[in-house]
Amino acid sequence: MSLDKTEVLSRMQVIFDELFLDEVTVTPELSAKDVEEWDSLLHISLVVTVEESFEVKFRVGEVEATQNVGEFVELIVQRSKEANV
Amino acid sequence: MYGLQEGINLGQNGSASDQDLKSLLLNRDDRFWTELVKQSAAATTFSQLTALSSIRKKAARLGLNGLSDEKTNTVRIGLIGGSTLFPLSDLIEHFVNVFVGDVQIFTGDYNNYRSEILEESSSLYEFRPDFVVVLPDEQSCKHPGMLNDPKESVEAEINRVSSELLQLCSIIRERTAAEILLCNFILPSANDLGPVQAKSLASDWNFRKAVNLGLGTKAPNYVHICDLEFLAYRLGGLIAKDARSWFESKQLCSPSLQVDLAREITHIVKALRTTPKKVLVLDLDNTLWGGVIGDDGIEGIEIGDTSPRGEAFKAFQSYILSLTQRGFILAVCSKNDFDNAIQPFREHPEMVLREEHFVSFKANWEPKGQNLIEIANELNLGLESFIFADDNPAEVENVRQFAPEVTCIALDPDPSVYIRQLQESRLFERTMITGEDVRRTEQYREEATRRSLLSTSVDMDSYLQSLEMVGTFREFNPIDLPRIAQLINKSNQFNLTTRRRLESELAALISDPIYTGFSMRLADRFGDHGLISVVICKSNSDGCFEIDTWLMSCRVLKRQVEEQVLNEIVRQAADKGCVRVKGAYIPTAKNAMVSDLYSKLGFRAIDGCQDCCEFELLVENFTPKATFISVNHKEHLT
Repeated sequence: MSLDKTEVLSRMQVIFDELFLDEVTVTPELSAKDVEEWDSLLHISLVVTVEESFEVKFRVGEVEATQNVGEFVELIVQRSKEANV
Repeated sequence: MYGLQEGINLGQNGSASDQDLKSLLLNRDDRFWTELVKQSAAATTFSQLTALSSIRKKAARLGLNGLSDEKTNTVRIGLIGGSTLFPLSDLIEHFVNVFVGDVQIFTGDYNNYRSEILEESSSLYEFRPDFVVVLPDEQSCKHPGMLNDPKESVEAEINRVSSELLQLCSIIRERTAAEILLCNFILPSANDLGPVQAKSLASDWNFRKAVNLGLGTKAPNYVHICDLEFLAYRLGGLIAKDARSWFESKQLCSPSLQVDLAREITHIVKALRTTPKKVLVLDLDNTLWGGVIGDDGIEGIEIGDTSPRGEAFKAFQSYILSLTQRGFILAVCSKNDFDNAIQPFREHPEMVLREEHFVSFKANWEPKGQNLIEIANELNLGLESFIFADDNPAEVENVRQFAPEVTCIALDPDPSVYIRQLQESRLFERTMITGEDVRRTEQYREEATRRSLLSTSVDMDSYLQSLEMVGTFREFNPIDLPRIAQLINKSNQFNLTTRRRLESELAALISDPIYTGFSMRLADRFGDHGLISVVICKSNSDGCFEIDTWLMSCRVLKRQVEEQVLNEIVRQAADKGCVRVKGAYIPTAKNAMVSDLYSKLGFRAIDGCQDCCEFELLVENFTPKATFISVNHKEHLT
């Protein structure tokens, strides 16, 4: 069962709600600089939570290379496809 | 307490119980904190815990702080080490806040722990920690030379690494008086050296093991080893590390191991801050034995080697007995008539626990909470040092309500997991080895003696003598019957006639004056072997005492049990006025080991007997065999 971007985006909203103390509306354009809480430390927790929730495994450096949530979502979809092959 | 029985299932993220917490929080419901504690105890994954941690912080913003109304001082924990200490610090903060109380965490910088320790005015010391957790860097725990360096030089390196770390700990102690939690090293989960890995002291595998061993055995009382080696082993080496997260954010270990590590640190902190437990109070029916003594009677309860359930209860009793050697004291709290409740402790041969092991014995119909308060008064001990274990959730609930200071263990429906439940409760640990544990030294000495005895078994007589064996003969009785029937129907090897009988047939023998049936139990200084031999004889009118059945459990071969049983057979024969003892060996596919038993014991073969070999012994010519077993005779119990 492969994921589509819309579904990933809505599940990302749930993860953000659980992880961030302030309310954040998740959009493809959203990036770390838009959210005060989203620092490098919280980013570590975010990556681990995403890996556990979507049962995906990222390669070294690739999450850092994404510019915003939209690119992150695309990466999740791609890695999820590979995991389910 | 992270008891299994308190577990609540969390589903996938965004599960129903998470929603529950959210709505409890929105409604400012009093149950929010209790629910948070429960879910934190049950949570297993990193993402569950970050979600719980985050909702706890949201609650704090709204002024909901669980334990802050109790008089707990804030726990101040300094966390320093050779890796990035976030998000570990967040997990520790969450667990300590939820399970211990208010908490402040100082998180050191990545791989800055040496200077944080050595510089007198460092921010670690400004923080004034009560506890300092040290997570040393793996890179420093490595032999700097070659794999084939001489053993002495590698040993010197190993010693240098462990000494340096303990030295750093002593500096922290001098400057803060804090208790120190020192984490040891995770072993590698790959073997790129092959067989050499295990052979060379300089391999990472052996080097780290040796350093860990050195840290543990040399650590002073104020250093508490947080055994990361064990935690990683328990979780599984392959999932203990995560190479990517090391390169990206210098994480020491995988998210799952960080969860385990944070729990362990919290456990040690909690154990050091709370009154140690001293008393274990136990229920009886379906806790120490299977069944209900008041209904099933002493013959009906399940305890001992007759059934798998009986064995599980017996093993549980042995484990409880071992806790007394750690300094725990035992008490009973049971809804029963006293006379019924005490009977198995006094009379049942398979019971490990006896009356004298208990400092207080409450068997009555009063509420258990009330009984526990009375026991505490009798012993002049606070209820907070009490642990109560019961299989009945209703009784546990009663104690939780009426004696809330007591820590309760609600036993599982399956007695085979009782021991594990007690172990996992982690209430029976000792934070350090003290003078109270002196008795343990004796045990180590005994164990060492036993091993040396086994290895020098050249002199069999002195070995047997040193075992201090005690044999107990007992005529057949209703309590022993299930075990006797089991042996009669299962024993194949040391079994001279292999005659099978039903328990009901055996029961009929008890009242038949022609038959003499007895069993033997054997114990030695290392433990009880239980009921191990069974004999049935028939007194014939011609003065012949005929051995109908003679069998023995093979676990007591070569212990002179057969000689001692023969002494008893002949004694019984004389008692019944018989002049001869007759025995037969009926060969089967499995009982060759006893084909020459009678001739070895001095019986004479009766001529003219082919398939079934018969043997005979004259009572008047018999000299009892000398053995190293001292003998007891027990009369009928009923």
